[in-house]
Amino acid sequence: MHVDCKGDASLTIVGKEVTYLPAENTARKPLHRDVIRGLQNILGASMVLHRPEDLLLYEYDGSVEKGRPGAVVFPTTTQEVSQVVRLAAQHDVPVIGRGAGTGLSGGALARTGGVMIVFARMNRILELDLENQRAVVQPGMVNYELTRAAEAGGLYFAPDPSSWKSCTIGGNVSENAGGPHTLAYGVTTNHVTALELVLPDGEICRVGSRHGDSVGYDLAGLFVGSEGTLALVTEITVKLLRKPENVKTLLAIFDDVDGASETVAEITARAITPAACEMLDGWTLRAVEDFIHAGFPLDSAAVLLIELEGLAEVVAAQVAAVEEVCLEHHAREVRVARDEQERELLWRGRKNAFGALGRIAPSNYVLDGVIPRSKIPQALRRIREIGERYNFKIGNIFHAGDGNLHPIVLFDPRDAGQYQRAIEASAEIIRYCVEIGGALTGEHGVGMEKSELMPLLFSDDDFGLMRRIHDAFNPRSALNPGKIFPLNKGCGEITPRAQAAVRAVPL
Amino acid sequence: MALSPIPGLIPVYEDYARCIHCGLCLNACPTYRLWNLEADSPRGRIHQMIHVEQGEVPVTDSFVDHIDKCLDCRACETACPSGVEYGKLVEYARARIERDYRRPLLSRVARDVVYRRLLPYPKRIATVARLLRFYQRSGLQSLARFTGILKLFGLDKRERLLPRVDSNFFYDRLGKTFPATGERRARVAFFAGCVANVTFAELNAATIRVLTANGCDVVVPNGQLCCGALAAHAGVRDVARELARNNLRAFLLNDVDAVVTNAAGCGSTLKEYDHLFTPGEPEYGQASAFAKKTRDVTEFLTALGLSALLKALPLRVTYQDSCHLLHGQKVREAPRKLLRAIPGLDLVELPYSDLCCGSAGVYNVTQTDASLELLAEKMHCASATGAQVIATSNPGCLLQMRAGAEIYQSNQQVLHVIELLDQAILN
Amino acid sequence: MSTVATNVAARLETVIDAERVNGGSDSCTKFAVDGVAPSVVARPASSAEVVEIVRFAKSEKLALIPCGICTKLGIGIPPTRYDIAIDMTGLNQIAYYDPADLTLSVDAGMNLAQLAEALAQQKQFLPLAVPFFDECTVGGTIASNIGSALQPGYGSARDFLLGAEFVNGAGTFTKSGGRVVKNVTGYDLHKLLIGSLGTLGAITRLNFRTFPLPEGYGHLVGAFSSVDSVERFQAMVSKSPLAPSTFNILGPEAAQTVAEFKDDRDSPLPSWFTRGEWHVCVGFEGTETILRRYSSELAQYAQQCGASNYHLLQESDDKALGGALRELLNLLSWSGPAATIFKINAFPGFTPDVINLHALAQQFSISCRIFASSSGPLYFALQPGDLNDKTIGSLAHIASGVFEYAAEHDGSASILFCPTSLKRVVNVWGPARNDSALMRRVKNAFDPENCFAPGRFVAGI
Repeated sequence: MHVDCKGDASLTIVGKEVTYLPAENTARKPLHRDVIRGLQNILGASMVLHRPEDLLLYEYDGSVEKGRPGAVVFPTTTQEVSQVVRLAAQHDVPVIGRGAGTGLSGGALARTGGVMIVFARMNRILELDLENQRAVVQPGMVNYELTRAAEAGGLYFAPDPSSWKSCTIGGNVSENAGGPHTLAYGVTTNHVTALELVLPDGEICRVGSRHGDSVGYDLAGLFVGSEGTLALVTEITVKLLRKPENVKTLLAIFDDVDGASETVAEITARAITPAACEMLDGWTLRAVEDFIHAGFPLDSAAVLLIELEGLAEVVAAQVAAVEEVCLEHHAREVRVARDEQERELLWRGRKNAFGALGRIAPSNYVLDGVIPRSKIPQALRRIREIGERYNFKIGNIFHAGDGNLHPIVLFDPRDAGQYQRAIEASAEIIRYCVEIGGALTGEHGVGMEKSELMPLLFSDDDFGLMRRIHDAFNPRSALNPGKIFPLNKGCGEITPRAQAAVRAVPL
Repeated sequence: MALSPIPGLIPVYEDYARCIHCGLCLNACPTYRLWNLEADSPRGRIHQMIHVEQGEVPVTDSFVDHIDKCLDCRACETACPSGVEYGKLVEYARARIERDYRRPLLSRVARDVVYRRLLPYPKRIATVARLLRFYQRSGLQSLARFTGILKLFGLDKRERLLPRVDSNFFYDRLGKTFPATGERRARVAFFAGCVANVTFAELNAATIRVLTANGCDVVVPNGQLCCGALAAHAGVRDVARELARNNLRAFLLNDVDAVVTNAAGCGSTLKEYDHLFTPGEPEYGQASAFAKKTRDVTEFLTALGLSALLKALPLRVTYQDSCHLLHGQKVREAPRKLLRAIPGLDLVELPYSDLCCGSAGVYNVTQTDASLELLAEKMHCASATGAQVIATSNPGCLLQMRAGAEIYQSNQQVLHVIELLDQAILN
Repeated sequence: MSTVATNVAARLETVIDAERVNGGSDSCTKFAVDGVAPSVVARPASSAEVVEIVRFAKSEKLALIPCGICTKLGIGIPPTRYDIAIDMTGLNQIAYYDPADLTLSVDAGMNLAQLAEALAQQKQFLPLAVPFFDECTVGGTIASNIGSALQPGYGSARDFLLGAEFVNGAGTFTKSGGRVVKNVTGYDLHKLLIGSLGTLGAITRLNFRTFPLPEGYGHLVGAFSSVDSVERFQAMVSKSPLAPSTFNILGPEAAQTVAEFKDDRDSPLPSWFTRGEWHVCVGFEGTETILRRYSSELAQYAQQCGASNYHLLQESDDKALGGALRELLNLLSWSGPAATIFKINAFPGFTPDVINLHALAQQFSISCRIFASSSGPLYFALQPGDLNDKTIGSLAHIASGVFEYAAEHDGSASILFCPTSLKRVVNVWGPARNDSALMRRVKNAFDPENCFAPGRFVAGI
């Protein structure tokens, strides 16, 4: 049985007419009952979801994409994962791994149906070695919970994506997640030393080592960030960092955006490496302030949230240097958070910024382009110009210190024309990022969302090798099909995604 | 079949669309943490509501099950970056279930008895309380526990969650005014609650003592009834509305600076009385005014500032946030400030104090297993703090954690913040 | 020149400029690996030429090894086939450098010292403090993954390599990563190139994140009478808020080698050296205030851990010591006819039982040197007096002991440098690994015809 999605039927909900479209793959036939039965035999009936009303809840993640699985299973051991994978292989059904489903590129969605393995119940810390600063965790371990557990030893897990309170380390590994503090400490790959994997044929293997360096190719480095297209990760060894002696958080307030972006470029050029350097433009900070009351001045054009960490002496010197740069670039004011509470409030403003925009418009499109940091001022000017041309306000909340832009195009998906223009504007911004030496995605991953844009960066030969690597591990595309690689080779458009975002409209 | 319209607040497109399914709520949700199921997460529940609202999926057993399992603790609202008002959505979903879905007979009868025939009637509450008191004091309770007969019926754990009935009920204080000691700094109306009259009479009395000692005239309006929180949370909107109408009549708002309650669960509903009515209805304006005047007692006292002299209480105390105070009313610091104001009291933070203890209104009765699992986790964290006292700010939480302290023999006292203040006030 | 060589050279001249092809035997000998010399050396001037060479080799079923200055060709197993050496030093330019973005794109054949000079003009540097620094190329440094003294402070190449361009075994020019500091677009194939020893392709260009040169440097050298106190000192520093840029632990013999480095042999040893003791050299950087903080705190830790002696080095001494520590591997690799150096990635990196390694060498009356970096590998260098069958037999025994030691410590070991004759009896990469099959899959994807450095790597790759 399958839910009868009503095609493009119009529904009237609380007085508004909206269009509902089914997920991309709903036309696919449901999984054969032998597969369901097999899964139940392996895991027990309570660990297998297959009723349509349950499957509906695994067709989304944090992105605008959709894709509904044919079954959702909750293994608790690596052996079970392997058995599930073997069973799926026997029936020629794809397998998709999922953590908490907070991804922003559709990486954990069942694009072409299949069995979804949710790792949420494999969420234990297997070993916490505070002495040697390592932890061995299962993939469903929540990022924030690991840091909480490590706090006792004065340690923490460095990658801190905005979703850190919910997202899983398995998901972080698949997407090579970043976060504000990656500027100083690196992204997930810099903190993973070993992995246990289940290959598409069910084989269980280990790569890397506890130490990090080992003999042979850096396989762990290959699997981290491979978006679940090469193997399923069932165990992760991570490094834990020692908490810094001193932390200072600065809020620099600017009356014009250029001043803020030039400040970032100058901080980089002067080779001051803050732990984090985040920028919010005026329009975004007003939305945030309305909700969080972090003390962002409502009449400013942009703020920079800069965090400096390390030895007290290092921090003191850097605070002075950063203040100087800010004032040279006409910052109206530079505030230093007085205590942990003030610091948390400023960060809450930053970490909730995306969501706060959800209060302004029913839908938004978050981009994830990366550019050389020396080109931030010109990129922001171009984004503003693109926004004006398409008649959109485009918000900017981003990891300025990394050059990782997150322009947010807000739109009302009920207006198809508006949506189309939003997508066109987004494509233009991404093209510009690539043009000035940047990349498509800094931390969200390619997933379903940006696969069609990949040809902007990669040649047929590049794809040739990437495909050979893909096929070396996942020859039948049994794992997470439809991700990373463009389906319509060489078109370089976001246009196909237009459908996806309309579908993402909840009502 | 034409269905009767659901009264009160009805969420609109934007209320649902605000959820951008980012998933930041998942790990804040006690039931998601227990079962790791999307269906038992705030995001998943909203998604189910959307499908139901779209008419794509009818109100199924599965939908009812997952919505029932929600504690309505609203921790997701605190976690949500988009400001989704989940409480509003889930209460509407429950109202829809109440209208569109036929529950099994036993459940129907139980709900009918509790929401429609018991809670709105103080006399019936008193009668039940006397029976219960007899059970607890006559030796029957000891006998039942000792013989293990409860275990036979699978009631042993549930029985421990029963409130201890007070020797003197609070009803005789209704209609009275308690004058401020010393200089009068404010005049407040005290909201006494329903079951609290028979199980937390002493807490209510303590609350009045603390308020008067801090310069408040305290009016306890006669004719006040249950706030309707339990009914509203259960989707029984007509009863909640009737109770609200009654309380709107009973409280003379112009006479007082604030309506004060010591029950965070009640306070959260009183502060949202306007949600029970639609803007066109005659009660709407009055309900909004009532909502604006309502204060939790900790919130009120913190804003007023303590004037009573306090003696030292050399105790190690940890504080468990009451969900409806922290998440429902966004009051986090006030109770902590009051505790810190007591000399000699050592306040230690309770890890995961923002997670529900499992009480959640009648949740510990309707979803006992889940409730006890949450309680176990809570008591584990509380023990680790080494605190002698677990403080909180809602009677329901007090009951739950007192049961927890007994089950896990943690030797910890569980007290309302106000009870500690009361102890500290010099006579 | 043999006929075969002439033929290969002649045919190669048809695909790239004849000037870039050299079949002379002197030239070929220079590029020999463990005594196996190529038939021809090609020195491409562009990545397009590298593509032509690889396509040529592929069609002719010839074997290739990309080389730089050939300082580290001794690493690995002798190749099973070797026809063409690709001399990458023709690709030696900085392709792009944006000091304001702290990013760099450099040709693989560029000399590391020259690169450092260019970056220094912008007060920046690449934290690759590796042996053979003055001669070697940036490509060879990455392909060999030779250890950098700066690893404790700056991480290893995988932490600051942003992307790469290379010609893979299918004869196509490909790239991975990019030139921006944060990027998750596509597979991180460039990470696989690190330490791949030329088995996956010819690296033509590498993109790095650069770092600001510190204002000043300092060094504390502590002498300890026991390994236990060394371990205590290491633990104390690692739990402190300090973040030293280098942290070298030297056994008594290794310390002596470092102390003697570049010093006149007749002159007395430097003051910081105490004969017969373990030494810990901790390097740190920053402004004067910061250097003072490090100095006083490290000195305090050293005292608390029972250091018999400690010294804070001045500017020039500091530089000399840094250079000696960096070049230690280089020095020891030339220290005798049968010099053998093990690289051990144990966990934790340094424990008091390293003295077991010492005992192992003594068992065979072979002098040895032990040194380690706090976060990086542990090196165990042996210097047998002469090269003969008995020595090889002893070294083989020691090798199996070292591999066991590594396995017991949750790690792995390999032989970095050793006489070719030892390679006939011992697999320098250590015992078979359980991820060998996965590595072969990677190799096949990159180099389906097995053109690149066949047989040189782990698992028969």
